[in-house]
Amino acid sequence: MSLALILNLAWHVGTLALVALGLAIIFGKLRIMNMAHGEFVMIGAYSPVITSSMGLPAWLQLPVCLLTVGLVALVVERAVVCRLYGRMFDSLLATWGISILLREAIELIFGRGYQSVSLPIPGTIQILGSGYPAYRIAIIACIALGFALLAWWNSRSMVATRIKAMVENPGLAQAVGIDTGRLSRWAFVFGCCTAGLAGLALAPTIRIEPMMGLDYLIKSFFALVVGGLGSLEGLGLGAGIIAGTQSLIGAAFNQTYGYLAVLSLSILFLWLKPDGIHSASR
Amino acid sequence: MTLLFEIKELTGGYFDTNVVFDVSARIDHGTVLGIFGRNGAGKSTLAKLANGSLQPSGGQILLDERPIGRLPAHRRRELGIGFMPQDSMVFDNLSVRENLYIGSIGESPELFIDRFPLIARRLDQLAGTMSGGERKILSFVRSMIEDTRLVILDEPSEGVQSENIDLMACCVKERVASGAGIMIIEQNLRFLASIADHFLGLDAGRTIYSEASSKSSESEIRAILAL
Repeated sequence: MSLALILNLAWHVGTLALVALGLAIIFGKLRIMNMAHGEFVMIGAYSPVITSSMGLPAWLQLPVCLLTVGLVALVVERAVVCRLYGRMFDSLLATWGISILLREAIELIFGRGYQSVSLPIPGTIQILGSGYPAYRIAIIACIALGFALLAWWNSRSMVATRIKAMVENPGLAQAVGIDTGRLSRWAFVFGCCTAGLAGLALAPTIRIEPMMGLDYLIKSFFALVVGGLGSLEGLGLGAGIIAGTQSLIGAAFNQTYGYLAVLSLSILFLWLKPDGIHSASR
Repeated sequence: MTLLFEIKELTGGYFDTNVVFDVSARIDHGTVLGIFGRNGAGKSTLAKLANGSLQPSGGQILLDERPIGRLPAHRRRELGIGFMPQDSMVFDNLSVRENLYIGSIGESPELFIDRFPLIARRLDQLAGTMSGGERKILSFVRSMIEDTRLVILDEPSEGVQSENIDLMACCVKERVASGAGIMIIEQNLRFLASIADHFLGLDAGRTIYSEASSKSSESEIRAILAL
């Protein structure tokens, strides 16, 4: 296997894991079937477009992304989602409506056409004699570091313990003093912000358009179906298998076969192992 | 003795169905209210109404003479009302240590934890791997070490060995001596009689007995329950 292929694999697995992380929190922990998850990826991807259209310097892309996605997520949570915790089917319908609303809003502001943004880190880096885009290397490293920090935080922090407690037994969590409404709200906003960050990371490598979120939503669901809900290990495994299968089969044959393989794999898992490989509440 | 907690003509239950009707009781600082009754009498519902897991449909709940009946459970916990539920009393997927320290803790929690070696020795064990009686003890210890002024205990001795029940009684007396109020629901009348200052008997959600423990005997309560 060539180095370029390994790095491409790391890019696809890393970005899918980042996209699916928010869904893993919102769907896996809060039991909200967030059909608008892809639209938060899309809004994140539009943040460089927003930044440049406002004439702001490029280094503000990250704060603009977090602020925009965070604000939209907060409004969505306060207006709709806060009434739907634990009501999975209702949340599916409501967030599906929200996804349409967000797509139409972006279309109204930026139009239907494709947008593209330039690479913030141009050029390539030579690794073992072969060149690979420096931007992708930087993003892979950031995602790896981010997940390592998240795993450390998840095992140490009181907030993570309280989220686990709330997910397992909301009534007792309230009785020990946990404001489950507030904790759910900020977990939802955090999950949406990670989706926005994924969109921002992907933006220079893709065509940005209002419908782009759907593909990421589907692949994220596939990753969670295969990996299982409730653990970072499951998320990593799911993202690895889905992105790996699509990349390898896509490279060996073509992208259609890659997508078909991913779809077949997900159906097989839903049929034979519906809890995924590593389902856990810790 | 000064008033800590009071319920006045409290009515409530689940959704549109009331289970508790017009129940009144008070708990002073440093006293124990023991609640007894047959299965289905509304004891646990009364505990949930008091802690905020359920919202009342009528009557008043007062803490320090201020109404708290509309506050959710986490707000009441912030005001100093702790709760040990009868069922689902621990977080199975958290360790014993995480279960104990998940809320805000009072001074010297070790005094209570060290008294139960089966808890002190297994701080890193998952709570879900413990037996039913051990979970009861874990939940009881958690409710004892929290920085609360009123502790509501719903059948803490159920499935617990007698020597640990004696330890529970010692812990309750210590919390009471430090000025806390306790509301305890129990089927074990001997345990209840050893700690309660006042008894409240319920049947079909209504008060059938309310008397100071000095004027009550275990046999009298047994006779009421046999009715």
